[in-house]
Amino acid sequence: MVTETAAQRVSSHKWGMVVDVDRCTGCQACVMACQAENNIPLSTEDIYRQKRTFAWIRVERYWYGDFPDVKARFIPIMCQHCENAPCEPVCPVFATYHNTEGMNVQIYNRCVGTRYCANGCPYNVRFFNYWEPVWPVSLRNQLNPDVTVRSRGIMEKCSFCVQRIRRGVREAARDGHDLHDGDIGTACTDACPTDALVFGDYNDKNSRVSIMAKDDRKYTHLDALNTDPNVLYLAQVDATGGAHGGHD
Amino acid sequence: MQQRRILDEFTVNHELLRGNLATPKWWLPTVLGLLVVVLFGFTLMGIMFNRGLGVTGLSRPVYWGLFITTFVFWVGISHAGIMISAILRLTQAEWRRPVTRAAELLTVFSLLTALFFPLIHAGRPWRIFYWITPYDFARGIFPNARSPLVWDPFAIGTYLTGSTLFLYVALLPDLGVLRDRTTGWKRSFYTVASLGWRGNPRQWRLQTVAGILLSALMLPIFVSVHSIVSWDFAVTPAVEGWHSTVFAPYFVVGAVHSGVSAVVTMMALMRWLWGWDNYIRPEHFDALARLLIVVACAWLALTFAELIFGVYSLEAPERALREMQMFEWPWNLLFIIFFLTGFAIPVPLWFFKRVRNNIAMMFWTSILVNIGMWLERFLIIVPGLSRKQPFVFTWDSYQVSPLEWGLLLWSFAWVMMLMLLFSKFFPLIPLFETKESQVFTTDVQIGRVTMPAVIRELD
Amino acid sequence: MATTSLITDAPDDRPSNIESTALLAGEGRTAAGTGLKRFMWLLAALSVIGFVGIVFRFINDDGRQDWGFYAATLAWMLTIFGGAPMVAIAPALAKADWVRPVARIASLGAIATAIIALLMIPLLFKFPALTQFSEVLGDDVRRRSIWFDSPSYAPHFWNVLILLTLALVGMAMAYVMAIPDFAAIRDHGTGWKQRWGKKLARGFYGRAQQWEWLKMRIGITGALYFAMLLYTNFTFSLDFAVSLVPGWKDSLFPFYHTITTFQAGIAFTIIGVWAARRWGGMNKYVGHEQMWSLGKFMLATTLLWFYFFYSSFIVFWYGRSDSDSATIKLLVSGPYIYLFWTVFFLVFLIPWWIMIWNKVRDSVWGPPIAAFIILFGLFLDRIRIYVASWSAVPDDLELATTSILQDMPNTMWPDVFDVFIMVGLPALGLLSILLVTRLVPLVSLWEIQQSRLITKPVRFLRSHVQLVGKPD
Repeated sequence: MVTETAAQRVSSHKWGMVVDVDRCTGCQACVMACQAENNIPLSTEDIYRQKRTFAWIRVERYWYGDFPDVKARFIPIMCQHCENAPCEPVCPVFATYHNTEGMNVQIYNRCVGTRYCANGCPYNVRFFNYWEPVWPVSLRNQLNPDVTVRSRGIMEKCSFCVQRIRRGVREAARDGHDLHDGDIGTACTDACPTDALVFGDYNDKNSRVSIMAKDDRKYTHLDALNTDPNVLYLAQVDATGGAHGGHD
Repeated sequence: MQQRRILDEFTVNHELLRGNLATPKWWLPTVLGLLVVVLFGFTLMGIMFNRGLGVTGLSRPVYWGLFITTFVFWVGISHAGIMISAILRLTQAEWRRPVTRAAELLTVFSLLTALFFPLIHAGRPWRIFYWITPYDFARGIFPNARSPLVWDPFAIGTYLTGSTLFLYVALLPDLGVLRDRTTGWKRSFYTVASLGWRGNPRQWRLQTVAGILLSALMLPIFVSVHSIVSWDFAVTPAVEGWHSTVFAPYFVVGAVHSGVSAVVTMMALMRWLWGWDNYIRPEHFDALARLLIVVACAWLALTFAELIFGVYSLEAPERALREMQMFEWPWNLLFIIFFLTGFAIPVPLWFFKRVRNNIAMMFWTSILVNIGMWLERFLIIVPGLSRKQPFVFTWDSYQVSPLEWGLLLWSFAWVMMLMLLFSKFFPLIPLFETKESQVFTTDVQIGRVTMPAVIRELD
Repeated sequence: MATTSLITDAPDDRPSNIESTALLAGEGRTAAGTGLKRFMWLLAALSVIGFVGIVFRFINDDGRQDWGFYAATLAWMLTIFGGAPMVAIAPALAKADWVRPVARIASLGAIATAIIALLMIPLLFKFPALTQFSEVLGDDVRRRSIWFDSPSYAPHFWNVLILLTLALVGMAMAYVMAIPDFAAIRDHGTGWKQRWGKKLARGFYGRAQQWEWLKMRIGITGALYFAMLLYTNFTFSLDFAVSLVPGWKDSLFPFYHTITTFQAGIAFTIIGVWAARRWGGMNKYVGHEQMWSLGKFMLATTLLWFYFFYSSFIVFWYGRSDSDSATIKLLVSGPYIYLFWTVFFLVFLIPWWIMIWNKVRDSVWGPPIAAFIILFGLFLDRIRIYVASWSAVPDDLELATTSILQDMPNTMWPDVFDVFIMVGLPALGLLSILLVTRLVPLVSLWEIQQSRLITKPVRFLRSHVQLVGKPD
């Protein structure tokens, strides 16, 4: 067993996700799993009417085609963990920055709540706690102890379930073996019934994400903005053989 | 032709110190009324700190709304001071004299007001210190110098410091006058404040040089402050309508437009409230209106450029935003009001000499301009946020909450109250400037005409 | 308040009306010396060389990119000669008295703008139409421009028209500002000058009503010129630079162009004042007071160059999109990086360093040095912008279909014909101005005499100052 230093351990990975739009059925299991795993505040009807719902991962549905051949395309959108993130340079207190593992991380302790990062995000995947989160008694035992419960005034967003990544890395070191592809799964990728969401390490040439990243159908959202996201999408395949991407 | 008023020192002292040596009857009720509104505003802030920003109408994706609009608005108004006192001083324009102090005052107080808004609208305002203080405390990191939000407090703080110093240096001779005419605790106060002003040639020279130096040093700040505020928006490529290179001069020129109009409003009020007909005369309004025409036309050119480039790129998202901003309800109504009040009604009116010299008309048109300029900032900030990028699932609108309107009202009451409090203790029109202009001016006869003539320095 | 005024008379050594009339309009007015004649023949020769350059440019060119230097030269001429009349108008609108002696030199720049309008015509042959390739690409595919759905040759037509209008308005303004001087020449001059003065004075005899009419005309043409200058800078810079580079979206650029126009106009006026003193015998009329005031404005516009450049730079820098990065690379950090840094020093850093010292600014030798450096630097700046733009995408088909600049062009160096053009065309502009000064006095006589009426040197306590009357 090789003992790695902390620095070596953390910088040898580049975490990313591939989303296969063709497989997504729009069931929203990923949304539910994410909410449960990450202690996301409840989006009640009141919150919805205030237009402040939380969904670290959301499923957008676009219709295309003419009647009667109308089809839906479901696109799950979460934080794209952009290498060239527009949200990072604008935070006045460095509460969001890019770590060495290719993730855009949010430090809840540092956040002052100016919401500049949220304005900078073109994917609208950042969420602000306008209220102090309230949990009904029945749900308090469901809170995940590995994840901070955020107070009001703090920005939050998809963290690639960093608690699961850390746990996976620790357990691999404890058990004395290297990390294998598939050892670490985020909540959404574990919950997805059709395997539309795949999480892995781009630095591992044999991982599923690395292989899927070479697919012809690959595209990224809003690439004109040059954000260089770590979340890649595989376009939906039409019955006629064409590939549809994005939200046209 | 200007009519030269010949005023001796006694008259000048008596009239301009009217607000200080004796209190006008209307002063106390007005200040008390404003104080009520101010305290109400502080209560609202307390509610917001206590319960969270949820009490506002802000939502997702409109994370910045009325507070930031008002912030930019007050920073804009603060540009009046430099424009009038620094630039007009350096170009030796005589007509600046009655208004320099009031303009500087408006600058200082509007900056103080503006500073409130970004601080109260942060999610955790008790941690603001970590944002605006360039020190790494126990966290081991300094604020992020790449963020325009970190440049903002530095720029505004520098502007505030410079303006306050400028105001104080210009106040010194008048503080000496007040010291010599009061007794008791007031005299002690003015004695300390006037820093031993005796009015000898050495002190006058120092005071004049200090004023000129501060004016020259403040000029770059005049341009940079609002540019930095504009870069809060312009460096964000994600929001349609924000990522435009013209923002810096657009905001600065808009600020001068808004600020000089606010000075016109203030001058009219000063003349009416304190009866300073001898000092604030129609020719001052005439000169300000002509300056405003030039500034407003430059502003129009910049607005036109910003809108044209919105559609130039032919990118669907930006075109969609512009269409929404100008043609869809409720933005189209706001857009029309903004354009009418900001430019289309006041500026053509100002082309007429009769309007320029009519103080009531100038007062009302200047108020219209500021309504338009507030709306302009609103129209820049909110539509772009509510329709960000083509992810239509996150498009949403913004409902301004009563609390936010309350705080907007608070900001006006706060500024007015501070100005009135200042006017009780310090003269709003500089005595020494007025007396200096009396000494610098004489009558000359050219042919059959007698006209006033002013001294101009040759170097 | 003292009963006697603190303002007392001082000795007045300004030239009398008789002396100024004799110098500027009368018989004693110097004919062109041999030095000036030789200089004008030199300029004529250079102009001919310039035309040779144009002809050869037509004969051997490989496409649009070879015309970048021509476009840059025209842009530079527009910047200098178009901006100069602003110095005549703007302070007059603000009722500044110090500008009166230099207003003539400034307004003469308008003469050369007519030449620019004509010289633009060869360039238009190489300027791409909006829908050059719609047969090939189908349906009205047009390159991105500010003309949107206008006819295909709209930019060609409008640019010439706008520039011609600018020239006409400018010349009208210069003419109107010179009418009283033509009258003086008619009354005190001899020979061909007297005949021309009579024709141009059009019956101006200085009646009160004629003065009112004159003031109104000056005001109208001045305001129109300002508007036209802004508009010309808008269309010229957007058509000939910005819209030729795919992905360059810069709403500030026309204003950047305009501010440098003001900067160049002031520099041109300063150099004109220096030349008028050195060779034109105008020492008693234009001096360090004009230099000082003009120098202040030149310092301000120099700082504004940096401000406008930085404003667009920072927005592109933070944008980080492909088009933003490509724009920065093309104009600042890529093929023209050395040129950019030279421009930075010549247009901003060095003149700023020169002009911030009071002693230098308030002298007759300081501002001209900075002005020469600025004008040369602005020439390089125009080369940076226009040569880069014209070489951005060499093929019109590509220009119509590309939305982001993918491949950086190589650095373009001028060949011998480009040098001919860069030397010859400005020489032609300068020659046209010098020809006009054979008739029109270098310093406007009536402004001098009017200011002599309204101002006088006085003493205030122990210092010498100027007393300026305020007639309105």
